[in-house]
Amino acid sequence: MAIPDIVNSVVAMDRISVVEHIKAAMENGIPIDDILNKGLIQAMDVVGEKFSNGEVFVPEMLMAAKAMQTGLEILKPHLTGDALMEKGTVIIGTVKGDLHDIGKNLVSMMVEGAGFNVIDLGVDVDIDKFLSEAQTNDADVVCLSALLTTTMPTMAKAVEAFKEAGLKAKIIIGGAPVTDAYAKQINADGFSDNAPGAVELIRKLMAA
Amino acid sequence: MNAKERMDAAINLKPVDKVPNGPFTEAPVCQYFGSNFRDSLLEGPEMLAAHMKSLEEFKFDWVMLGMGYIGGIIPEALDCQVSFPEDVFPIIKKTSIFSMADVERIARKDVFTKRMDSFLEGIRLLKKELKDEVPIACEYISPFTIATRLRGTNEIMMDMYENPELVHALQEAIVPLDIAMGKALIDAGVEYIFYGADMECPILLSPKHYKEFVHEPTSKVCNELSRLGSKVLPHMCGDIVKTGIVDMLLEMDIHGIMPGNLTQEKVLDIRELKEKVQDRICIFDNINPNGPLLIGKPEAVAQETLEHLNRAKGMTGYIFSTSGTSSPFTPKENYLAMDREVTNFDWNS
Repeated sequence: MAIPDIVNSVVAMDRISVVEHIKAAMENGIPIDDILNKGLIQAMDVVGEKFSNGEVFVPEMLMAAKAMQTGLEILKPHLTGDALMEKGTVIIGTVKGDLHDIGKNLVSMMVEGAGFNVIDLGVDVDIDKFLSEAQTNDADVVCLSALLTTTMPTMAKAVEAFKEAGLKAKIIIGGAPVTDAYAKQINADGFSDNAPGAVELIRKLMAA
Repeated sequence: MNAKERMDAAINLKPVDKVPNGPFTEAPVCQYFGSNFRDSLLEGPEMLAAHMKSLEEFKFDWVMLGMGYIGGIIPEALDCQVSFPEDVFPIIKKTSIFSMADVERIARKDVFTKRMDSFLEGIRLLKKELKDEVPIACEYISPFTIATRLRGTNEIMMDMYENPELVHALQEAIVPLDIAMGKALIDAGVEYIFYGADMECPILLSPKHYKEFVHEPTSKVCNELSRLGSKVLPHMCGDIVKTGIVDMLLEMDIHGIMPGNLTQEKVLDIRELKEKVQDRICIFDNINPNGPLLIGKPEAVAQETLEHLNRAKGMTGYIFSTSGTSSPFTPKENYLAMDREVTNFDWNS
């Protein structure tokens, strides 16, 4: 029962219970990568699905992510081999001129929860910073977020800069005013209007 | 009918001579006609100049203001560090609420800063110029949404579980300040308060949390602004019908509802909303400002506008609008195409 208990505890946003069940699972000899992948990461997939279905909302997503991260801290010293290998590097930030971070933070937490190495550049990030961080960290995916309609054109300039620089990283965009049509218009590699969708999109791009 | 008579008739669910045309015009207007975007949002004489030029070219039935006010002036007055770039909306650089002591501090703040005075002066100048022919609407902001600006969105959202007393106390401190600012807007000449409930919308917050944290402060503010003589028009994204939020809004003294995008690609069905509110309040239509209007051609904008108008034809208490703030980068020819379709639409045949 240990793994389902971990999943249920994360979904229930119960940090104390997450810790208890992870410790119990480790004592019972359950492999660490199973606790990570079938427990914590699976839990965030469940939370993401519930968010998409309108069963939970932003406060619950944030609290579940916090519970997941509490569990991850216990596992970290024990992660070796395959379990230590991250699924890819994702850079994320809100574009220059825009200080909104809720969508960006949700995506960041969900993507990290899905096992990716996430480098969160924060808000008001200029294009050069996105480019240099993507180069330095050999990023697989770069996520650009914007809430303001005034800052959307920065996304177009960023996509153009990445294509010109010839970096391997795929560029995806999101945020309240952003649409799939806009993503296509500026030649972004993808768009999502929610955090779970962003995880799925990144998985698809990484698998392609 | 002049613009004021037309809008008032629609808000009061009376017959109109043609479709009242009230999109969220401020950002495009400031971009098209302002000397620069920032000053046209914030500075009295610049606001006046941009909006008067706009009325010469467009046939809008109101002047819409307020993004500079809600984005920068209020947070700055309440101790946030705010930057005011020339080409984008104001940006909050640093929040101001970290503890209950901070809540007590902001409760004693004088919100009528120099920047606020300049904004109010713009409203007074416009009112004088427009007389009673074109009404002035102003975007406003709810106590909960102000709280997210002052405390940080993630922090407030998690406070709902970890520090609910702070969420309640912060809004309680904001309510009288919010009302005082609303009264100043009304005194300066604002007739329609566009009550932005951005961060408590059912895309972000559950109906349960809305009821627990937001409903009471929202009711206090809306009811008081209504008592002071303004028409209060809440704006909220998400499915306000299925989540039951609209039922809670209808308990307040409000005069209309302006739904926002359901998702980026989809907007709420206006007929579904009308069925819910019946003839209790008016409805602002919700053409997507980030669809063809922003990235399409004028023909596509005209088609989308016409679809909305045909769907609503015959409806009482209907006002054409966009579902939220239009981008300042909306092509002018698209705005003109939308305006043309609304102006020429045969509403009464």
